[in-house]
Amino acid sequence: MKGFIEDFGAEAGDALDRFARNGVSRRDFLKFCTGVALFLGLPGEMGARIAEAAAAAKRPPVLWLSAQECTGCTETLLRASHPTLEKLILELISLEYHETLLVGSGKQAEEWREKSMKENRGKYILVVDGSIPVKENGIYCKIGGKTALALLEEMGTQAAAVIAIGSCASWGGVPSADPNPTGATPVHEIFKSKGIKVPVVNIPGCPPNPYNFLSTVLYYLTFKKLPELDDQARPKFAYGRIIHDNCERRPHFDAGRFALQFGDDGHRKGYCLYKLGCKGPETHANCPIQLFNDVGSGAWPVGTGHPCFGCTEKGVGFTKPLHSPAVVKDLTPPSLFTEVYPGKEGVSPGVKSLATGVAGVAIGAAGAALISGLGKKGDDKEDKGE
Amino acid sequence: MGMNRRDFLRTAAAGSGALLASGVSPAFASMPKELPTGAVGILYDATLCIGCKSCMVNCKKYNSEPGGALYLQGRTASYEVKPGAPFWDSAEDLSSRTVNVIKVNKSGTGLNKDSTDNGFSFIKQHCLHCITPACASVCPVGALKKNPVNGVVHYIENRCIGCRYCMMACPFNIPKYEYESATPQVRKCQLCYHRYDEGKYSACCEFCPTGASIFGKVLDLRKEASRRLTLKPGDEYDFPVQTVDSKQKSRRKVSKYIEHVYGLKEAGGTQYLLLAGVPFEWLGFNRNIKDQFLPDLTWAYIAKIPAVIAGVILAGTATWAVTRKRNKDKEG
Amino acid sequence: MNQKDIKLFTPTTVVLLIVMAVGGLAAFYRLFFGLGASTHLNNAWPWGLWISFDVLGGVALAAGGFVIGGAVYILNWKKYEPIVRPAILNAFFGYALAATSITLDIGVPWRIWHPVIMWQVNSIMFIVAIHVVLYTTTLATESSPLILERLNMKKAVNFVEKIMPAIALFGVLLSLLHQSSLGAVFLIAPEKVSPLWYSSTLPYLFLVSAVLLALSMVSFETILSARVFRHKPPLDILRGLARGSLVVSGLYLLLKLKDLVTGPGVGLAFNGSLVSNMYLLEMIVGIILPFCLLLLKNVRTGVNGIFAVNMLVIIGTVLNRMNVGIVSMAEHNSRMGYDYFPSWMEFSVTMAMIAFAILGFKISVKYLNVLKLEH
Repeated sequence: MKGFIEDFGAEAGDALDRFARNGVSRRDFLKFCTGVALFLGLPGEMGARIAEAAAAAKRPPVLWLSAQECTGCTETLLRASHPTLEKLILELISLEYHETLLVGSGKQAEEWREKSMKENRGKYILVVDGSIPVKENGIYCKIGGKTALALLEEMGTQAAAVIAIGSCASWGGVPSADPNPTGATPVHEIFKSKGIKVPVVNIPGCPPNPYNFLSTVLYYLTFKKLPELDDQARPKFAYGRIIHDNCERRPHFDAGRFALQFGDDGHRKGYCLYKLGCKGPETHANCPIQLFNDVGSGAWPVGTGHPCFGCTEKGVGFTKPLHSPAVVKDLTPPSLFTEVYPGKEGVSPGVKSLATGVAGVAIGAAGAALISGLGKKGDDKEDKGE
Repeated sequence: MGMNRRDFLRTAAAGSGALLASGVSPAFASMPKELPTGAVGILYDATLCIGCKSCMVNCKKYNSEPGGALYLQGRTASYEVKPGAPFWDSAEDLSSRTVNVIKVNKSGTGLNKDSTDNGFSFIKQHCLHCITPACASVCPVGALKKNPVNGVVHYIENRCIGCRYCMMACPFNIPKYEYESATPQVRKCQLCYHRYDEGKYSACCEFCPTGASIFGKVLDLRKEASRRLTLKPGDEYDFPVQTVDSKQKSRRKVSKYIEHVYGLKEAGGTQYLLLAGVPFEWLGFNRNIKDQFLPDLTWAYIAKIPAVIAGVILAGTATWAVTRKRNKDKEG
Repeated sequence: MNQKDIKLFTPTTVVLLIVMAVGGLAAFYRLFFGLGASTHLNNAWPWGLWISFDVLGGVALAAGGFVIGGAVYILNWKKYEPIVRPAILNAFFGYALAATSITLDIGVPWRIWHPVIMWQVNSIMFIVAIHVVLYTTTLATESSPLILERLNMKKAVNFVEKIMPAIALFGVLLSLLHQSSLGAVFLIAPEKVSPLWYSSTLPYLFLVSAVLLALSMVSFETILSARVFRHKPPLDILRGLARGSLVVSGLYLLLKLKDLVTGPGVGLAFNGSLVSNMYLLEMIVGIILPFCLLLLKNVRTGVNGIFAVNMLVIIGTVLNRMNVGIVSMAEHNSRMGYDYFPSWMEFSVTMAMIAFAILGFKISVKYLNVLKLEH
């Protein structure tokens, strides 16, 4: 953490120099940025542009507000990658305020927050983790004597953009589970009710994959705009498909092979977990392709043998019973199914040619009969013989 | 012709006796029109179906056992492809190797489940086990029979001559033929009746993860089906899984149904009932299938045969006698 | 020209023999390797060329046997006695070939005898099977004098001739049932057969058209053999048959029109689709043209006119059987995603059947007293 603390609030300098100081060569840095570009689904050359943006002299300020949360989102971010890269990420931005990572505390920290907000008014990115309690004016979560609700309103109105990280901030998460005693509310809903027009990006997940967050941030840094979002304000590059689409157990689903109980034969063989309540078929996330903790294949819930519980999907995680079967979404027929009407209206070519051939023979023969029989004038000799 | 009337009558009677004796009496021949007392069947709810094809896989697996619809002497498992065989069995349609198939119909973008408008719906095709099966009525040798107790329409291999009239007659195009074989058989769903003795039931229902296919007594299935039609879309309902009286339930929201239980009246009623969120015509069911007992259509013809035999013999003999006399008179 | 003068080994005969050889090989191939290997039949097209042409068409072409047999032996219209033998022999060939085709077409030919002992009287197919067996036997008995005469078995000939009216009546009975039951076969599939052909009167239509075809076929053969043997065609017989054709084709036309009007409506026949056009073609060639031509006196009294009408009726009725057997179900089966065009083996077996019938009839004429020519 030493380097991190040193850099915290440091003057803006030549970023590449600082990288070099921290043992990161220019080559490594470019490699990393190209990797990020590829992850975002951008052309490889974009890596250079990302590097340019990331190494820009003035790092964009970021303020991080934690409300009703478990710090899982921060933890996941800290485990984002190999140590050197972790530092890199944090050096791309200027993290002005983060309750967990802050060196200072109490009054000192709050003063810094206010100072930074004033200096960077309308330019900083606000990251929120945790849901905001609204019941009884939000008294269930206070920081420095202010409710999280008031803080969000204050910090949100002055931000350039808001990233709601984690399921809690995105759609309510654990605190909002029935009966929701604190009135836990996601960020975008509070913005809606307060009429705050600042754009909100949701990065749901419990915890979310850190790369979904980092990529969004880097995208913003590079293009000065937010990535393409779906109807729930989730970046499409990460939440565009359901887990079911990319799940390594999908062939078992397609073949109808299901684990019926934890530890049974099918479970041991890695069969589909649908019958155990896997919510993969109705949950949008890139877990099966991005995986967690950079340790290789299988490092995600379904990979370890547990059904997906749908944390990234509003109305699924913490809402539906863990082991009730999912409603399958976004099946894309008919790639794997025969259509009930494989044929078209009318007659297939084979029968058509058969019928046409028969008709041709019939017309020809009938024509020949008519011409030979009726074409002759008068009757032939047999008739005269009578 | 040196034949007197007595000779003629005697010969005619002897010749046609065999035909008359075939006893084309309605009592002997009539097809059952009532649901058998212990009739079992399947209720398929297309709104619950997720298209996982588990039913297809397990259908093949359990019907490849002795007594199953796909069983073949010397082949223990038709669903298992021999090593090195150059194909992967992804059945597209009912065939001699597939007696149960999941198909889809979709329109436009195909995004909305159970909707005809930019939507799709699954459908499970297999034998409907008609109460009065056309296939059994047209089989010249009685190789297809309806079990009088559980109503399963099943196949007796060593009777079949392979005329394929059952395939012509079936309004749902269910019986399929082993064209690829030189000793072919007809293949169709037999509701896994070979598993009843061991207390099991249709594999497609046993392995359906969502309860889209449930097995049970037809009367119970009819009740369950009409109950589902009374539910309000959006309400939650405990859908039974595997069997209609199962303790295992799957709670989920009720989709919008078409007000129609397919199989109550179609072709005189079937033991396979279907519910769906889209019209059944859209799911591949022939709109020309009427609510009538198909065997009645041919029986109307067959029932006239004794009268025709008697009438032709009488009228023919009379004509012969009259015209013969007139000819003789002319000559005389 | 005398029957002994018929040359057996003409180029035509050689061609027929080659056709038969190819068809025979195809039939053997089918027996050893199955239907899938030899035909293009499939799960939506269980019946194809063999059933539609060989069986439905062949049996209809053989109707002459019972019509003329009935006229001569039951109605005692002795005028037609000269043509009764060829008619019955022709019927025997027709039925034998239909039976052969059925044997090849059913999947398990060695169980062909099953219907005889495993009765299932609900089945039209059972009725058909029993009739084929009984009627082939009947026809064999009716034709037996031909052989018996050749073998100089006078007693046996006399016995058969004596009971001939009863056999003929039995034949008429069986044929009435059999011709109509071939139509009744399709009654079970109202949802597949196009309404242009489907009707509850299908059995009657098959019967009436078979009678019409019988008259034309017998007349056709009479004219043909007269030309081969270069003798005068029996004009009064031909005119009688033509008068009969006029009446029957009128009745058939009425029945067909009634079905069209009360069934699907006239509009369906004129919607321009392939199926409707096939229906129109069948109606024009097989029914309307023959009927209208026969109304003209100089057509129905002249040999050439009668011959032309006979051709039209034969073409039209065979077309009708092909239509009922294949075209009527084309739209339904195409919608199911299946197609059918007969394989070359199906064609060659059918061709061999026709060749066998022609050659067999020729050989019979040469060696047996088919045409009851003066010795």
